[in-house]
Formats: sequence, C-alpha cells, structure tokens
Amino acid sequence: MSLSLATRSPMPPEEAAEPTAAESPLPVKVQIKDVGFRYGKFEALKGISLPLFDRRVTAFIGPSGCGKSTLLRILNRIYELYPGQVATGEVLVDGMNILSPGLDLNLVRAKIGMVFQKPTPFPMSIHDNIAFGIRLYERLPKSELDDRIESALRRAALWEEVKDKLRQSGLGLSGGQQQRLCIARAIAVEPEILLLDEPASALDPISTQRIEELIAELKSDYCIAIVTHNMQQAARSSDYTAFMYLGELIEFDVTERIFTAPRVKRTEDYITGRFG
Amino acid sequence: MAAEHIIKSYDEELNRLNKMIVEMGGLAESQLAAAIDAVAKRDSELAGRVVEGDAQVDELERELDNLAIRLLALRQPMARDLREIFAALKIGSDLERICDYAANVAKRAIALAQTPPIQPVHALPRMATLALHQVKDVIDAYVERDADKALEVWRRDEELDEMYSSLFREFLTYMMEDPRNIGPCTHLLFMAKNIERIGDHATNIAENLYFLVHGKALTEVRPKGDKSSLEVVTSDRAAR
Repeated sequence: MSLSLATRSPMPPEEAAEPTAAESPLPVKVQIKDVGFRYGKFEALKGISLPLFDRRVTAFIGPSGCGKSTLLRILNRIYELYPGQVATGEVLVDGMNILSPGLDLNLVRAKIGMVFQKPTPFPMSIHDNIAFGIRLYERLPKSELDDRIESALRRAALWEEVKDKLRQSGLGLSGGQQQRLCIARAIAVEPEILLLDEPASALDPISTQRIEELIAELKSDYCIAIVTHNMQQAARSSDYTAFMYLGELIEFDVTERIFTAPRVKRTEDYITGRFG
Repeated sequence: MAAEHIIKSYDEELNRLNKMIVEMGGLAESQLAAAIDAVAKRDSELAGRVVEGDAQVDELERELDNLAIRLLALRQPMARDLREIFAALKIGSDLERICDYAANVAKRAIALAQTPPIQPVHALPRMATLALHQVKDVIDAYVERDADKALEVWRRDEELDEMYSSLFREFLTYMMEDPRNIGPCTHLLFMAKNIERIGDHATNIAENLYFLVHGKALTEVRPKGDKSSLEVVTSDRAAR
C-alpha cells in the first residue's frame, strides 16, 4: 500500500496551500514515529508516522475502526487505563518521547488536553468543573484561580453565556455549552496540545459551528488534532488531513489537496463516498 | 467514470451532467458544420436555422448550471466529483460560446449571400474544418476522460492560429485590390476570427479536462500562431 507522505520528512508538501509554509517550514510540535498498537492479538495500528504542526489543526478521517481514535488515545496515553494494551514506536512532543515508561503521566496530560465525543462535565458547578482540573496541577490563590477560570471560559467562547451562573451545575447547560465547558476545562490547565475526539458529533449544527469557530480561534495558541467522521468538518476546520484505513495511514497532506485532488485512490474513494 | 458511489442517485446525477455536456458538444459540432455549409453554399435558409438553433444550446446551458448548482449544494462533492462538476460548468460555458460564434458565422452567411460571390470564400471552410475537428476531438477526449488526447487538441490550436493569420493577409489583399471586396471580406474576416475563437474555446475545454483528470492545472505555455494582431496596412503596401 502506498504511504504517500507518511514516510516523508516532517516538512509540509511542496505544494502546500499556504505559501508561508513553503518559505519557512512549520515547527513540528508532535512527531509520531512508527507507532503501532495492539490489544491481545489485534493489531489496531501499524507503523504510523506523521508530524503534527504547531498552531495548526490536523484532522484524522477514516471509516469506523480505522484506528484514528486509538491514535489520539495514544497521544496522551489514555490507553494505559486498560490492561493488555501495548503501544510501540515513539511520540515525540518537542523532541521528548512521551511513550517512554519512566515519564510522569500527569506531566504528559497537563501538556495535552483532550475533549471527547460526548460532553463530560463533572456533576459540580461550572466554576468547579474548571477549577477541578487546575487544582490537580497547581495551588492558586482564589483571585488568581477565578481569573484563570474566566479566561478559560472566554477562550472557549462560553463566558458571556455563563458568567452569571458560575455556581450552577455544569449539567444544566445545553449539549453545545457542555462541550465548550469541557474545552474550557481542557485549556484551563494551559496545555500545548489539544486532542478533540469527535467533539461536535453529538451537537446540533449551530453548536457545531460554534465549536468549529472555537477551533479556528484556539489554533493560534495550540497544536490541535481532531478526529471526525464528518468530512465537511475536516475540510472546513483543519489545515492538514490524515486519512487512515484498517490501522494504517494511507495519506497525509494539506487539507485542500486531500479534498480536491488526493494522490491515493483509496483516499479519493473514501472522501467521495465510494466505499465506507 | 470511477467506481460507483454508495448513494446511487449521486451517480445518476453525475451521469446526467456528463450526458448534458456530450449533448451540448454534439450541438456545437452540428451548429458549426451547418454554419460553414451555409457559407460555402450561400444557403440563407440553413443559416437561419443555425441562428434559431442557438436558443436550444442556451437552454441546455441553463439546465446544466442548475444541475451543477444542485449537485454542489446537495451532495457537497469532494475530490474527483468536485472536479467533474467544476469542469462541467466551465466546459458548458465554453460550448455555449462556441455555439454563439457558430450562430454569428451563420448570421454573416446570410449577409454574405446577398453580395455577389467572391473568390476567397473558399479559403474559409478549410479553416472551419480544422476547428470542427478540434471541437469533435476535445468532446471525444471528454467522453473518454483522455487527458493526452486533450493535450493534442491544445497543441494543435497553433495551426488554427496560423491559418487565421494567413487568411487575414489574404482578405486584406483582396480588399486592397478592389474596394468592392471590402464589404464581403469584412464579413469573412469576422467569420475567420469567430472560428479562431472557437479553437480557443476548444483549448479551454482541453485545459479543463486536463484539470479534471489530473487535479492540477495545465501550466505549459501554449504556442501561439496568430500574428495578425501585429499586422498593419502601410500606405506603401496599399499602393502596391
């Protein structure tokens, strides 16, 4: 199987959509190197290599079971919560392999925030939902904590909607608001990388657009990876797109290229709805 | 066309789009052939039918546009599908222009038939035949999605340009010889220009087809054979 760009150097392709990318190669925030993953006898990921550029959004697309969510779970080592799962290869974040066993998991997860498909607010107030994450890592005086909470809610575009009800339960918010609350919670601990696993698939179109707009704003500060089943969403909100199939990376390229003239036929068949 | 979509009606719509282009291409060929026939045979009735036939092409283009817009809005096409629709829109408008030029040749054929026959009329059909081939070949290339064939059409346009240049000089000479030739020769000159433009639209279609197939623009520089825009009539030459 052709691995188009997967095995190339972590440079944007020469036909990159952004002229600036060609002039000055983007900094690589995460370098995924020959990552494999198995549970039991099942090989869920095989030899995945690709860069995630800093301050860019990379979308992962592919049919169910292709391994895209698994890859995301490797990036912050959530998979370790389940026994019998083994990841191989390297995930270099700023050059440091986060898969190496000696590493402090909490430090990894403070650097890398994650948001899931279903909003997962804790059964506590909006204020405490965000304070909870911050308290795991730092002890802040109350005024500073409140500032941090306000700033996170503002960046998650939720502040105006909740500023008068911070003491009310996070569960009372709408689905879209809950998801933005989870994003606020993730960015409150000031991570460098944001992993979004189907962040809008349970939301209505308006809430979905809010999340996409939020992604567009957040990318000026973070390296963002998003897993989505919605190809229009990948096309709209990402700079780079990786297409995965049966645990392999089939094609990785500038999003514009993937959706107008992909190099690999299987990618084209998938995004044009010819198999799935 | 590539493998079938999971949603069958999507394939049906894309096939319809394809058929509409082929139908417009067929009409463009027959309109141009009839217009040239009308010039050569001084057949004003045939020319009249060509002029009237133009409305049919315009109607087809509107239908094509509607279908393409519908596909874009409802199917949200990607990759090859997107290029299919984009190319169909552009090719449709090129074919419509080709038919406009054919209709204009037919209109001038009616005017020309009212003046006494002149010799240079015979030079025009030769050029028109080549243009007709270009249109036919590029439509064939579209049907077969054959980018190489499209490229041949694209390169061959230079010949058409050269023929136009030489006709331009020929008509000029006739006009200088006898001022009574100026009326009919002016019509012939416009006809030749129309046919040369038809060739340009055939190359546009070739470019769009190339993009459809390869997903990138044809960036080569096309050879130009038409030097007539640099020609001037000097008093010295007129006096000869």
